[in-house]
Amino acid sequence: MSPEQLLGSVDFPEDDVVVADFEAGVGTLTRLGEEHVDTVVIVVEATPKSLEVGARAAALASERTVARIVVVANRIRHDEDLETVKAAFPGMEVVGVPHDPKIVEADRKGVAPIDLDPNGPAVLALIGLASTLIPTSN
Amino acid sequence: MKLAVVGKGGSGKTTTSSVIARTLARSGRAVVALDCDSNPNLGISLGVGDEETERLVSMRQALDEGEEEHANNWDTLISRYGSDGPDGVRLAVVSRIDNPEPG
Repeated sequence: MSPEQLLGSVDFPEDDVVVADFEAGVGTLTRLGEEHVDTVVIVVEATPKSLEVGARAAALASERTVARIVVVANRIRHDEDLETVKAAFPGMEVVGVPHDPKIVEADRKGVAPIDLDPNGPAVLALIGLASTLIPTSN
Repeated sequence: MKLAVVGKGGSGKTTTSSVIARTLARSGRAVVALDCDSNPNLGISLGVGDEETERLVSMRQALDEGEEEHANNWDTLISRYGSDGPDGVRLAVVSRIDNPEPG
């Protein structure tokens, strides 16, 4: 099954959460039907190429029935980086994630960033984002 | 609840997906992480380890080569081809990986 077929499958349990790490680029989004996802998280860096892919993803997500679109401004080194991303996505929700060498270290070691440095700035920013994505279960 | 994480290769999609999946699992939700990337390494960022990640990728390759019957619904895919990860996150590799695009 392709990712988009799977996400459209009728027997997906309603209370479960699926977090789908899509292929690089916007290919899967172009093939995605209506109501296959509830939330699209667009990860960008403050570089022209990354913002361009992000803008296409935002346009495609906006054409679909998506309850929420969140832009993650990743590897923020200066305030200007965050401003650059916000300017590229006017009126949209943008969450900044700071540059954090521990993420690179986790990649190098082949371990989970949330295990290597659970209180690092990047991990904490992403935990903060995650906690806004679904209503609390209790 | 279905979340899709998208972006240019190398933007940090996989790290973002992994922290979101682990955090939601810690909050008590049943979480399935789907690796749809043609360069599948979500398992490593989730903390499943490179051996188990590689095993799941091989299983996906076997599916593509017709060695295994295709999973035809959600439950089959997750129960037969998924793997249990830290915090109870269940991981499945669903990308086609015969023509990987450069990350």
